[in-house]
Amino acid sequence: MVIDDSRAMRLILTRIATQLGFTVVEAGNGREALDKLAEMSEVPQLALVDWNMPEMNGLEFVTAVRAEARYKPMTLMMVTTESEQSQIVRALAAGAHEYVIKPFTPDAIVEKLALLGLVPNGAAA
Amino acid sequence: MIEYPSPTADDLLVIAEQVWTSYLDPEGVNPLIQMPPGETPKEVSAAVSVTGAWRGHVVISFSAAASRHAAAGLLGIGYDDVSTADITDAVGELVNIIGGNVKSLLPEPSALSLPHVQTGGSGHWPNVKEVCSLFGLWHNEPLTVSVLEGTSSAAEAGGVGA
Repeated sequence: MVIDDSRAMRLILTRIATQLGFTVVEAGNGREALDKLAEMSEVPQLALVDWNMPEMNGLEFVTAVRAEARYKPMTLMMVTTESEQSQIVRALAAGAHEYVIKPFTPDAIVEKLALLGLVPNGAAA
Repeated sequence: MIEYPSPTADDLLVIAEQVWTSYLDPEGVNPLIQMPPGETPKEVSAAVSVTGAWRGHVVISFSAAASRHAAAGLLGIGYDDVSTADITDAVGELVNIIGGNVKSLLPEPSALSLPHVQTGGSGHWPNVKEVCSLFGLWHNEPLTVSVLEGTSSAAEAGGVGA
């Protein structure tokens, strides 16, 4: 799942994830993502989550997801411009597994996903 | 207490080059070229506000053609296929990324607003002073990245002007 209010950024992340073999569902903010999750029969393996979004931001989304036992298998990776140490700590404390700061290269995303065991080491996007 | 030197044009260039390398010019074919200070283009502007320990705005101003190139590059579509909505989305995301990285150079804690994009005229930012600006040429079209610090109360300088 790719959650970002920018269509351009969703496209970039979707392209990377698709090339890694993921089937992607997109959402424009946390609220829309939660609505789409509620309709899914299978919990996504991974969500790439922006922080600053209208309606429901990424931190609120992560907190909401972590409050639902059904979504426990989902790996949450923040992909955001928020780079203050305190923000990173907040996101990880709320339940995000990894944190990527924009701008990123495809290799940076692959590297983090490999660390999480979601793609093989050396996978190419 | 942590000292935060003010961001400089060189800082903006480093950030912009990272953005260009990541999204707009990964092959290094059309890099952003730094130019001497000149006139700020007025056709399209995108801004984010920073509030908290530091108050102000990060603004990118584009010529119409530069904004169209940015949308084409970020969305991976042809220059002639770019719509106004594409431009708004793309330049909004660019200022979000550049603004977020500028914020990392500023006193903490602070918060970044959602981007505000204006086409057909430059934005108006009252009660600010320019901290630094980067003048650039991309695809032979001008663009400017500016950091503007609020000079008055939070209520007056906290929002993005239109």
